[in-house]
Amino acid sequence: MRMKLGLNYQAMLGILLVVLIIGFGIMEPVFFYPDVIFDVTAIIGEIGIMAMAMTFIITTGGIDLSVGYILQLSAIVFGAVFTATGSLWLAVVLALLTGTACGFLNGLIISKTKIPPLVTTLATMNLFRGLSMIIAGTNSYSGFPDIFKKFSTIMIFGIIPIQFIYLLVFFIIFNLFYTRGSLGRNLKGIGFNENALVFSGIQTKRIKLFIYTLSGLLCAFAALVYLGRLSSAKTSMGNDLNLQVITAVVLGGTSTMGGVGSIMGTFIGVLIIGVLKKGFTLLNFSGNIFNFTLGVMLIIALIVFAVLEARKGKARKQAKPASS
Amino acid sequence: MLGLIVAAFLLFLSLTTNFSSKSGVFSLLLDVSPTIVGAIALSMIIITGNIDISAGTILGFVAFAAGSLSELGVHPVIFMSAGLLMGMFLAGLNGWISVTFRVPSIVVTLAMNMVHLGFYATFLPNAGWVENLGDNFTWLGQSRFFGLVPYIFIVAMVVAFASMFMMRYTRFGKSLYAVGGNRQAAIYAGINPDATVIKVYLLEGLLLGIAGLLKATTANEIMPSAFQGREMVFIAAAVVGGMNIMGGSGRILGAVFGAVFVYLLSITMIYLGFQDYFQFALQGIIILIAVFITVTDFGQLRKSLRQTFAAAVKTPGA
Repeated sequence: MRMKLGLNYQAMLGILLVVLIIGFGIMEPVFFYPDVIFDVTAIIGEIGIMAMAMTFIITTGGIDLSVGYILQLSAIVFGAVFTATGSLWLAVVLALLTGTACGFLNGLIISKTKIPPLVTTLATMNLFRGLSMIIAGTNSYSGFPDIFKKFSTIMIFGIIPIQFIYLLVFFIIFNLFYTRGSLGRNLKGIGFNENALVFSGIQTKRIKLFIYTLSGLLCAFAALVYLGRLSSAKTSMGNDLNLQVITAVVLGGTSTMGGVGSIMGTFIGVLIIGVLKKGFTLLNFSGNIFNFTLGVMLIIALIVFAVLEARKGKARKQAKPASS
Repeated sequence: MLGLIVAAFLLFLSLTTNFSSKSGVFSLLLDVSPTIVGAIALSMIIITGNIDISAGTILGFVAFAAGSLSELGVHPVIFMSAGLLMGMFLAGLNGWISVTFRVPSIVVTLAMNMVHLGFYATFLPNAGWVENLGDNFTWLGQSRFFGLVPYIFIVAMVVAFASMFMMRYTRFGKSLYAVGGNRQAAIYAGINPDATVIKVYLLEGLLLGIAGLLKATTANEIMPSAFQGREMVFIAAAVVGGMNIMGGSGRILGAVFGAVFVYLLSITMIYLGFQDYFQFALQGIIILIAVFITVTDFGQLRKSLRQTFAAAVKTPGA
């Protein structure tokens, strides 16, 4: 029953994706050009990478509102270190360390105290935002070397953006861990009933610490991928990425109550966001309309998912007397 | 808690001499009033175990609705009730979606926050900017008793006392604690938790409407997007004031003092010459510390520490 419903929901998402592509294509025929289609996969690189870790987190019933600002802080640290020392490798390493440290802080607070993830990350979000503003002030950092930019601007076979490759690699790895092996099972277990896992001897606190730290690391990596494309680090970047990442994950069918989710769904969700973003850019819509649409979509996705869940619950209730 | 706030208050007073002047007191009372009302609104939501991230942007809609109607020259009673209704509608919508579809309020209100912001920029004329509001609009915010106490401070105090009375002596107030403390027990006690949560969101909307009007009427122009981020101040004030973020406990009086504390802290930082972006970082840290203090069971912590300590002392002897 669950399996069938999952497929149904993902099929709905797939149809939505195709409808969007065709819709934008009719409004703006340029959309069908292969390089435009592939550009969609270039602009979702950073969101997609962050959404993979976010799927893990939301599956446990948690949430990370600070991802956009971890990305921002890592990018600012990268820019500041590179401008100060001129050493690319030092900057990359420090940026990755910054992201990991931010994620570790989140994980530490969430796993060691009783403060819920939502409040923790709401607070650390402001903390990271403040820190990056303290470091950068009104400065923006640019002038990164070409070799750095290549990491996010190279085209494979001259047409497939490298971000798509990153995203595919992360997708395959995360999907493997999520669907097979004990990690994915434990994540869903934490979302359903954490106490039951604790009593069966699983170190749920350690798992939580791990996934939030992992999320921080991926945010830092996403920051580097993003920077290569933007070529300047400033404190306005990453501001609206929180919502995009959460929308992608929730749209993909991962329940905010925890316990249910799918990396495949997240992948499609990310693609849908990319198509919307590209389509809106081509149609000359402003970023505000995009954010507005995303917010409305997130709410609709929540409602559709809730209605499907309720129907499933009803079906199960009706099926029960018959089977027992 | 009270001692802490009084101590902080004295510290700020000594640091920033201009509080003791008459205009200093006036601007303190003027600025803190909307924060008090907003903190009370968020406190009620937090007591039921929910949250509202879109509180700041709801204030923007309230201010826009009232301001644009006032510009048309309607009677204050009309534009003020329009503002209050706007607040109740938007907050009620949050509560309704969250309850009906069993979605955590954090996700709904986070999405609503973006929807509101996008709505300002996309659909409101001039991004909702209203200028040159006359006395018709600003009489509430800019008048004062005896040249010292602003009207809006009186309004905030009335709201505070009414809320305290409601939370302590009415069935509805008690049911908020019940729903936030133990939902199942509340159901067994004959409380309908869903209806209670929707009602508390409506009430929050009403209070946000009041807060929005108090804030908006102090100036003669309105920029809805400027209200973004106020929710963090309200949440900080509520949790500093002792609201348990898991729901079920906290007092309205605490929220009032929390609002005063957060406001004094920010004004002192500005006075000492910190840039406003330090406040983002500080707000985050304050929320974390306050939440840590309210959710941690210190009796339990002390016990386990003592046991560890006792074990450590015993081991060498044994």
